[in-house]
Amino acid sequence: MSSTTSITSTKTDKMAAKGDHAIGTPPAGIMSALEGVLTQLKAFRLKPKQQEMLLRVSALLLIYILAFATRLFSVLRYESVIHEFDPYFNYRTTLYLTQKGFYEFWNWFDYESWYPLGRIIGGTLYPGLMVTAALLYWGLRALSFAVHIKDVCVLTAPFFASNTTIVAYFFGKELRDSGTGLIAAAFIAICPGYISRSVAGSYDNEGVAIFALLLTFYLFVKAVNTGSLAWSVASAFGYFYMVSAWGGYIFIINLIPIYVVVLLVTGRYSKRLYIAYNTLYILGMLLAMQIRFVGFQHVQSGEHMAAMGVFFLMQVFYFAEWVKAQLVDPKLFQAFLKVIVIGAGSVGALGLGLGLATGYISPWTGRFYSLLDPTYAKDNIPIIASVSEHQPTSWSSFMFDFHILLILFPAGLYFCFKRLTDAVIFVLCYGLTSLYFAGVMVRLILVATPAVCLIGAVAVSATLKNLAKLLREKKPTVVTSAKTSGSTKAAAKSGHDQLLPFQKEGAAVLLLGCLYLLVQYAVHCTWVTSEAYSSPSIVLAARQSNGDRVIFDDFREAYYWLRHNTPSDAKVASWWDYGYQITAMANRTVIVDNNTWNNTHIATVGRAMSSYEDESYQILKSLDVDYVLVVFGGVTGYSSDDINKFLWMVRIGGGVFPIIKEPDYLNNGEYRIDKEAAPKMLQCLMYKLCYYRFGELSTEYGKPPG
Amino acid sequence: MTDPLFLLVKLPYQALRVPRLRLKAPALSLPSASAVFALVLVSYFLVISGFVYDVIVEPPGIGSRQDPITGAIRPVVFLPGRVNGQYIIEGLSSGFMFVLGGIGIIMLDLATDKARARSVRLSFVAAGISFVSIAYTMIRMRACRLWKKRLNVSLHVISYARCQEVKYILSWKA
Repeated sequence: MSSTTSITSTKTDKMAAKGDHAIGTPPAGIMSALEGVLTQLKAFRLKPKQQEMLLRVSALLLIYILAFATRLFSVLRYESVIHEFDPYFNYRTTLYLTQKGFYEFWNWFDYESWYPLGRIIGGTLYPGLMVTAALLYWGLRALSFAVHIKDVCVLTAPFFASNTTIVAYFFGKELRDSGTGLIAAAFIAICPGYISRSVAGSYDNEGVAIFALLLTFYLFVKAVNTGSLAWSVASAFGYFYMVSAWGGYIFIINLIPIYVVVLLVTGRYSKRLYIAYNTLYILGMLLAMQIRFVGFQHVQSGEHMAAMGVFFLMQVFYFAEWVKAQLVDPKLFQAFLKVIVIGAGSVGALGLGLGLATGYISPWTGRFYSLLDPTYAKDNIPIIASVSEHQPTSWSSFMFDFHILLILFPAGLYFCFKRLTDAVIFVLCYGLTSLYFAGVMVRLILVATPAVCLIGAVAVSATLKNLAKLLREKKPTVVTSAKTSGSTKAAAKSGHDQLLPFQKEGAAVLLLGCLYLLVQYAVHCTWVTSEAYSSPSIVLAARQSNGDRVIFDDFREAYYWLRHNTPSDAKVASWWDYGYQITAMANRTVIVDNNTWNNTHIATVGRAMSSYEDESYQILKSLDVDYVLVVFGGVTGYSSDDINKFLWMVRIGGGVFPIIKEPDYLNNGEYRIDKEAAPKMLQCLMYKLCYYRFGELSTEYGKPPG
Repeated sequence: MTDPLFLLVKLPYQALRVPRLRLKAPALSLPSASAVFALVLVSYFLVISGFVYDVIVEPPGIGSRQDPITGAIRPVVFLPGRVNGQYIIEGLSSGFMFVLGGIGIIMLDLATDKARARSVRLSFVAAGISFVSIAYTMIRMRACRLWKKRLNVSLHVISYARCQEVKYILSWKA
């Protein structure tokens, strides 16, 4: 209080002095009024703790809004439309759910796809995304906002991305301190690795699943740190949400056992870990079995056996600890330990062997096995190998999606290793395993993003703290007493308590350097979002020679042509990419779609596309097909059309029907489509459909037709 | 009072003479945190350089292009055309740059430790700053060159690029 009054008094003195100098004595009324206002404002002055909380809350609010806003590029540029292929299926199922209700949704048998097989939709999808969007829709409607389900679907992913940043803040706070949490939230808000699958319009499982993943991890780490049953039960429910949302829950159910084993090996076993893991495993497993698509896989599938093995290991550990507390003699305990280890090991091995031999425990499925052995898919499963998202990652993809986080990651690892706690060990396990898997498959960069952001945030937070400490360090006072002169001399010689030269200036410059790097990160992320990840891929844009922008809406025009001009029971054959979009927008029955659950059916279509016309006609007639849809990009220069994908049709078809041989379509090992193409290529159905009467079409002004 | 069965089982081995060995079971101890950190750093370097990509796709170490005018073969460092592709050397050198930047930041933290000699601290600061700036500059140079080349690869009409949306690749080794 005295300081404030002294400040005001000096101010008034100064003003009085100036006033005396300039005009004369200033009126006393104005002075007292000013003094009164200043004292009033000082009463509003916050204590430092409150200031800090204000800063934190406003920063979090801005980060929340930023995460939502940066994903809206395509909505602002084009319109609020669902992107890509897979989201159309999700949209169609959500529409069905909101129109017909839960019971119809669970029991839905879809006869409009995979003609003539049909598809049991209720039992073969992950319902988390659809249920979430439907709940949001009903909630908004209950508040009397008349929204359309399509807009709710389009904006679900950005909304959950914002929620992910909040969870990341709490996770960072758990790791180190609230500064780390803020930086982690800011990194995740704009990281391109996450944005790529959660832009507005990308209505896909991953948008919700990453939120569920981070929430489950945070709740589990909190449970391990506190040992409370409440947090463990919450983490089990988080796991249930994750299982309902995405097939990637396998990562959680394998990472957490690995983490438990690491803790056991480094000697960090504790009661808290026991409570947390057991609750999560049992309750989570029971809840996960409620999802029909998952069913009994938690006890039957080889991918879930690690969790069960660690569960039994934990019981053995607990038993051994209890016996150790009972026994007084350490030698006896050693003997007991040997017996129990050998006994438990043999029982476990026997159980596993029996399960595998009788076939009760199924081996690892191809999709996940190819993560452990990356060469497996290339040789054995062409459908998995054909998708470009499943290719291994090159350094430029890493750089594109992470930018400076790649430099901050090793530094963050160092800071983590310096101060190991249970939570930090978890983030280390998560980061390293997910980064390895991201190296194997481009698509999994998404799963690695939260870990890389967290560890990068640790590095930035620790570095900023160091620099700020250097900046604020005061010069040590010189001790003049004779008794301690010897020690000060020694200290001066070795450099203790002495500032480095230009310490303050250097620290300030380095802080500016950090600011520069972080600003570059933000610029890069926004550029990447705007240029690369915000196009709806159902609407294409191009520039004409005079700079005008031309929008191609060919996909939707074709689907709506089908919808308006064909009988309602017409069946459309196309390559499996377009199946979901045809059922959603054209509302017609398709032969194969993106679910790709039946390889033989897809191979039949592939064979039809690559055979001579009369053979194809027989095959298509046997499938009861009325229309064939092909995508051809030769007129506009669209590069991912069916002619480009044609060799995959040949490979997949040839995998089931050996009559289709790939070398027939290549000319000297090269894939060509001009007049030097292989003769079978020139005669096959796909080529004939795409280039039908192409010679009469003029592509560019001034060039000859065809 | 010896067990008759034991005597029976011992019988075949009476002819052997047990050698005097001084074997000890190796004492396994957990590695220190720094050893684990070094291992982790090496594995990080491998993953970031696109090691898995190199093993599966087997690109050449460095590309080559024939100069149209002189006819000589000139090396090409960056893989042209595709977004998710690399040559081996380009991957390894970029991975090294990332690790160098990380080590720079680590050195800056080591320099704040007051227990070391002053000259050592100063050299750490200098090394740290130089590592980070070299790493960042090199990465910026490569990235800008790379993305300008790759994002402009599109056929003559379309000027935007869906970088990870080209759903199929056509690189097939016949």
